[in-house]
Amino acid sequence: MTKHKLLSLGHGLFLGFIALIIIFPFYWMIASSLKTENQIFQLPPVWLFKPHFASYAAAIVNDNILRALLNSLIVTVGAVALGIAVGAPAAYGLARYTFRGSSQIQFWYVTNWMLIPVVVLIPFYLLAANLRMIDNPIVLILIYQTFVVPVVVWLLVDQFRAVPIALEEAALLDGMSKFGIFLRITLPLTVPGITVAAILAGIFAWNDLLYAFILTPGTDARTAPTVMMSYLGGYIIPWGRVMASAVMITGPVVVGGIAINKYIARGLTLGAVK
Amino acid sequence: MAQISIDGVTKRYGATEVLKRLDLSVAEGEFMVLLGPSGCGKTTLLRMIAGLETPSTGRIMIGGTDVTLTPPAKRDVGMVFQSYALYPHMTVRENIALGLKLRGVTPTEIASRIERVAALVQIAPYLERKPKALSGGQRQRVALARVIAREPSVSLMDEPLSNIDAQLRTVMRAELLRIHRKTGMTTIYVTHDQEEAMGLGDRITVMNFGHVEQIGTPDEIYAHPANAFVARFIGAPRMNLIRLAHRPGANAIEAAGIRAPVPATLGTLPPDLFLGFRGEEARPGAAHDGEAMIEGVVDVVEHLGAQIEVHLRLDDGEEAVFRRPRGETIWREGERASLAIPAAHLHLFNAETGAALRA
Repeated sequence: MTKHKLLSLGHGLFLGFIALIIIFPFYWMIASSLKTENQIFQLPPVWLFKPHFASYAAAIVNDNILRALLNSLIVTVGAVALGIAVGAPAAYGLARYTFRGSSQIQFWYVTNWMLIPVVVLIPFYLLAANLRMIDNPIVLILIYQTFVVPVVVWLLVDQFRAVPIALEEAALLDGMSKFGIFLRITLPLTVPGITVAAILAGIFAWNDLLYAFILTPGTDARTAPTVMMSYLGGYIIPWGRVMASAVMITGPVVVGGIAINKYIARGLTLGAVK
Repeated sequence: MAQISIDGVTKRYGATEVLKRLDLSVAEGEFMVLLGPSGCGKTTLLRMIAGLETPSTGRIMIGGTDVTLTPPAKRDVGMVFQSYALYPHMTVRENIALGLKLRGVTPTEIASRIERVAALVQIAPYLERKPKALSGGQRQRVALARVIAREPSVSLMDEPLSNIDAQLRTVMRAELLRIHRKTGMTTIYVTHDQEEAMGLGDRITVMNFGHVEQIGTPDEIYAHPANAFVARFIGAPRMNLIRLAHRPGANAIEAAGIRAPVPATLGTLPPDLFLGFRGEEARPGAAHDGEAMIEGVVDVVEHLGAQIEVHLRLDDGEEAVFRRPRGETIWREGERASLAIPAAHLHLFNAETGAALRA
């Protein structure tokens, strides 16, 4: 065997090993969700078994996981939509205009991202409690802005800067208003960047446990991660239901991620090469 | 009546003065070229006429109305950008239609104008394409079509040919002229290419360091440059400027290897002079009466194809460069040679101020 072949074999083995590490937990999650409680703990593991959907049924009927998924969806979509509606104009302002303190404001946005959630959680909890808004999804949508807006601003400032200023000037001469230019010229040209911002922010919102666990603990208002948390309360952990719920929670994220992964790669490198 | 007039316009960015009290007027239907090296303020001036920049002081009038502070949309000007600035997410048709829609032109009128303009600039087959799918020259035509379709009273062009290859550039130059003759739009055209300026302009404004060096027809500027800067900038190959000292009171210029008559009407000459002449107006051989004579050693002979370029080293170290027809064998490197220049084609400049000395 030549040295080159040996090298590429090693390369392949290494990549396979990494892929295994990443894929195995997913396999284990899906397999366990389809096994009976006994099969899950059998050693050596049962590789071939008849799929069994009782865990899913239990998760849907007993734990109302579908309602929790819907809550998660509402909160995520709401948080991302509000974050883009607020963050995109902010990013545009920072990208196109220089004013006193503009670079400080941009820095402030980015550092907000590093905010430790617990620091805002307690005052926000008190605020929400006094406003009688505990268990209201709007509270989550609002508090998620503490990271959605920074992500959106951080990503979009560069995206907007990459749009040639001559395009906006041409539109100005064509008779378009400044807001019209933002809406009809600049924004459509930054759709890949906006998509990336929406995905990154959406993943944060979808996965959030801390805020949701404290601010929307009620059975009707709780989000999917809170349901997962609730399984860990008793003496026995119902692993089948845990795994079935986990499949239903991560499923949309994984499928969505694969569907738009081309966009992500393009968005994150957009502007790097003209 | 001037269609566009610029009165004492100054533009400052912080402490730097980009334009210095500039005056300029462009007649209705005129093709005016702003020519100058990069950084001379020509693009800034164009952008101020468009309304994309505001003058620090001074006034800009279009069609008799003061538009100094009028926003670009209300000025009735169209602009072709150096980068074309076509909207990438719209088709060619949408690109052209946008400005018309925003100005309230009816859909049927928009459609007929697009047809007309597309035929004029020959982009009819590409109307449904996106700019990405067009070549540089086609994009250039679309940018032009976008302006023409709007029928603005003034069209502004910022180096529109600088991004296309040299061959196509000559084609487009002729095209621009043809379209200008047809539409009769008052046009202001910015370029740093003197050949382009000569070819296109009804008149040329030569700019340098934020002020106007000379305004005139291509012929005037070529034949009678107002100063040494214009003399050097216009014409390829450029005018020879030979620096020499003048003895006060003498009625001819005499220096090492140079003898030139000086018309009495010029009055007292400054002691420090540039003697200018274009290579194509000199002929080899001894000077007759009323002609200037330049003598030196042939330094280098370059073969350029149809012509040869001769570098003549004068006795005091100055150099004169001129082109001669291919095959002229009298130029041999290292040998002495002389040139005669008719007095009418001699230019004298004050070397200190650069100003041309004229009778």
